[in-house]
Formats: sequence, structure tokens, C-alpha cells
Amino acid sequence: MPPVAARSVRRSLRIPVHRATVANPQLRGIEDVDGTYPFDLRASVKAFNFNRFFWRMIEPAWRERFVRDEEALYREAGLSAEEADLARRRNWLGMVRYGVNFFVLEKFARVLRMSNPEVYAKMRGESFEAFLATRNVPGAR
Amino acid sequence: MARIIGGIGTSHVPTIGVAYDKGKADDPAWAPLFDGYRPVAKWLAERKPDVLVFFYNDHATGFFFDVYPTFAIGLSPSFDLPDEGAGRRPLPAIRGHPEFAIHMAESLVNDEFDLATFQGRPLDHGCNSPLSMLWPHQPDWPGALVPIEINVLQYPLPTARRCYKLGQAVRRAVESYPEDLDVVIVGTGGLSHQIHGERTGFNNTEWDMRFLDLIERDPEALTRMTHAEYVKQGGAEGVEVIMWLAMRGALSNRIRKLHQNYYLPMTTAMTVVLFEEPDAAGRSAVGSEVVTHSRS
Repeated sequence: MPPVAARSVRRSLRIPVHRATVANPQLRGIEDVDGTYPFDLRASVKAFNFNRFFWRMIEPAWRERFVRDEEALYREAGLSAEEADLARRRNWLGMVRYGVNFFVLEKFARVLRMSNPEVYAKMRGESFEAFLATRNVPGAR
Repeated sequence: MARIIGGIGTSHVPTIGVAYDKGKADDPAWAPLFDGYRPVAKWLAERKPDVLVFFYNDHATGFFFDVYPTFAIGLSPSFDLPDEGAGRRPLPAIRGHPEFAIHMAESLVNDEFDLATFQGRPLDHGCNSPLSMLWPHQPDWPGALVPIEINVLQYPLPTARRCYKLGQAVRRAVESYPEDLDVVIVGTGGLSHQIHGERTGFNNTEWDMRFLDLIERDPEALTRMTHAEYVKQGGAEGVEVIMWLAMRGALSNRIRKLHQNYYLPMTTAMTVVLFEEPDAAGRSAVGSEVVTHSRS
């Protein structure tokens, strides 16, 4: 683990920490691709419980309980303080960086009645309108 | 003997299914997508394959990371559609083909592809979003589907070359099945897109066109690329086009491309491509010339 200062420098440069390259030759060179966080077994192990929390949004009863009392569900699912905070703040980019897989995050978005393009805009740090302006046919959604 | 009569490469963006369910065929923003699938649906209606072998990936719906197989073949007589967070799609359950799928599993494992098998798990948008464009399904589907799930979510992914070899082994499995079945191989995913991180929204039409050319003429070149190279060229989630190599590996080098559509309205380049084997064309002649529509 690099010292905190080094990590915050990297974050300020928006250069992601590519743990995945350590052992996987198929990912060699991916550190040159900014703004990309390969979901590998290290992320999967670290965020297993957090990913499962979002995965369970495919269950109607779990969704209803989230809508009724999300704090109670964070506690019941055993999320850490950091995880619950990321979810509570709807910090999409933060959750991806933490190790959440996008395809369970999109299930979370459905419960929040957000579309994927709205989540994309958040991850890019743009307004929804600014993101749509970059698309060829913004009405196709 | 079962035989492969053709192959289809198609995107599996969930909005394809949403647009279908909402009846957006005449919406100007969606018409280029619907129009692009019609020639493929027509070919399927004419050729009447008995089985579609579908290379797809599950998006942490039917499988979770507690057990996330690199390759898994579905054996069930019927596959339901899942609730992915916004309710189940209003389509009939998808018919499987247990006898053929079990033969495929036996053939593949004996051919040193030690894949997992699954039953009773639903097929998510990775399979069902293009399927509803390809086959009519009221009151029921016209044939059976054998799903082969590929891990393109959780690294380490199978290499591009491994996917290609899987396709080759699938061809051997199909051709060793004693019953006369006509089979179409479908590879799903892509084309360029990235939907996580600050690089979200990345596309690369130039790369997409090169990929579409290589998948037909020189798939070996695509098997030499690493995942990192796919991510650089086609976006992080665009790496899933390695599933097209499984489709291509199951086809011969005598295929003809009958149709190609490319449409990039929002975040993912959506495409559908149809290849036909010459033996299939022996019985009738459909699409005597290549029709290519490209829009961006």
C-alpha cells in the first residue's frame, strides 16, 4: 500500500490504481488508460459483501426494504462505515473505485429511478445535459 | 448429423430490449436499430434453425461473484427471464434443448474444455435483449436456445484466443450430434463502449469497423490481442467482443457476410452482422449480395 500522500497525488492526477496489472499479463499496459478500473478478483474479494448488497436489488422485497429504510438495510447487510457512506451519498465514481462492479450498480440505479445515462454523467463529473450534448442521438434512451 | 448454417454477431445493450418492449420501431431515434435487425430476422424465418447456440455474458444477475464461471453451458428445458431491478421483461420463457446441450457438455469436456453446467438460472439482457429482435415469440419461440455463458466481467477473463478455441470445440460438438439439427451460432456484446470510471462514454468507430472486418477475414489477428489492447481500442466494457471470437471459431472460413448494421446513438455502438455457411446456402439462395448499412 503506497503512503497516503502518494495515493492522494495519484487521485488528484486522476490516475487510477491498477492493482490488476500486478499478476495478469492480459492487463499489461492498462495503467496507461485513464479513468478505468478493471474489476478483478482483488476488487471482487475486497467488495464482495458490498457487491452482494447491490446484487440483491434484483429481489423486489430487498428493493422495497431499501426504499423504506435504507439505513436499516446498510446495517443488516453489514456494510462498513465507508461502504454505507459511499452508497448513502450515491457516490458512483467512488463506488467504482472502491471495487463495485458496474453491473450491480446499475441495479441500484433502477431502484433509485435513475437511468444509466444519468449515472454516466455523474461518473464523468458532468451535468446530464452536458453529457447528452456529447451523444449522436440523445433521444435514443 | 447436426450442422452449423450460419453465425450472428450482435450487441446486447439492455436498451435494445427496452426499446422493443416499448414498441419504438417507428421512433426516429430507434428506427435505424430496428431496421438493422429485420434482414437477420427474415433470414432466420427462412432458414428456420432448430437451435441457436448463444455465447453471452451474465451481468451479475443469474450468477453472482460467489460462483462466477469462466464458461458455463445451460442445460434446462426452459430458461426464465430475470428481474434485473426494474421487473421481468414481458416475453415467454426461452425454450432450451437439454439433450443437445448435454451432448455439447459431454463433447466439450472430453475435448478438454472443462466448462461448468447450469440449470434453473434465468438469462439476462446479455442474451434476451438481442433475442427479441431476432425471433418472433408470440405465443412461443420458434426454436430452442443453448446458452453458453462467458465471464467478461471479473478478471482474469478467458483470453481472446481461448474464446476462439471454445468456438472451434463447439463446432466439433455440434457436428458430432447424431440428430439432424440446423444450428446458428450467436456471439453477443460490444461494440465499443465504456460505462464506468471517468472514461465513461468512450467510443471508437474506426476500431469497430476494423474489428468487423477482422472478425470476418482474419479472426486469428484478433486472438493475438490482449484484454488491455481491447480496452484501449474499444473501451473497458468493449472487451466483451471476445465473445464474438467464440462465434467466429465455430464457423468455417467459407462464410459469406450477408448483412451488417452499425448504429451509435448514445453510449454503445450497436451492431448486428449475419454470416452464412455455404452449405446452408445450398438449399436456397438468400441475400445474393452483401447489404451494408452504416450509421454513426
